[in-house]
Amino acid sequence: MRTDSDLARDAASGEEVAFETLVRRHHGAVRGVCHRLARHAAEADDIAQAAFLTAWRKIGGYRGGSFKAWICTIAYREFLQARRKQKPEVEFDESAHIIAFDTSAARLSDQMDLDRALKTLPENQRICVVLCVASGLSHSEASAATGFPLGTVKSHVSRGVAALRKQLAAENVA
Amino acid sequence: MQTEDRYDDLSALFEAQDEALQNEAFVERVMQPIRKRSRWRAPLLFGAGGLGIGAALSQMGGLFDVVNARAARLSQSVGEVQVQAQFWDGLGVDPLWFGAIAVVVISCAAIVATERA
Repeated sequence: MRTDSDLARDAASGEEVAFETLVRRHHGAVRGVCHRLARHAAEADDIAQAAFLTAWRKIGGYRGGSFKAWICTIAYREFLQARRKQKPEVEFDESAHIIAFDTSAARLSDQMDLDRALKTLPENQRICVVLCVASGLSHSEASAATGFPLGTVKSHVSRGVAALRKQLAAENVA
Repeated sequence: MQTEDRYDDLSALFEAQDEALQNEAFVERVMQPIRKRSRWRAPLLFGAGGLGIGAALSQMGGLFDVVNARAARLSQSVGEVQVQAQFWDGLGVDPLWFGAIAVVVISCAAIVATERA
């Protein structure tokens, strides 16, 4: 199986099929980041698509390391851009096209608990948890992506993880 | 990563969520505009470049005769710069066209080199 680095190199030379393989491998993670950060599913998928289109344009700038971390960082930046453009009072478009996801294979109740618990975290804590715990960025990578000092990232992750565990444990007991 | 917290339990839950989000329709949604763009980009770019080069070449009717006449002289000294200037006059070609070719070629190369940098 070709590695992400090989595929990224081929994609940088214009090979669409290589990029498609990368999209197929990582779109779950990217959609996951966007769904956890954005307010609505349709908005999340728009951000995830924008992230991949940016990645296609900037693929020559990928310098190895975890491709998942690289693309998730791009997704986070796209999320920030989208949020800056948003008007606070914009209504959610119910008719927007949402690509459904398959819940049959997943542990649905755990996921719902996790989503609920994640939403209760303060925003910066949630961002750090999403980047480090869900997307696998190191604390330094998350610090570079968010602009938060390294110590702040560590503290947000540590507190966020503790809060998530506490809530999940409480919900399992209940 | 040794100094970083361990949270494999939560990471596993997030991974399960990510797997549930895998969907071929989304892959298509991403790839469609990329394929569409690639379809017209190359013909447009090379078409425009080709037009520029064609226009430049059409102005260089006497070029090959002059090149053939001077082909034996493979080296030139600094003192012959003036002769070179006369070379352009002899061609009856506006050197601006050579500049135009250079700009077209460099522009195309720059677009290709930087678009995914």
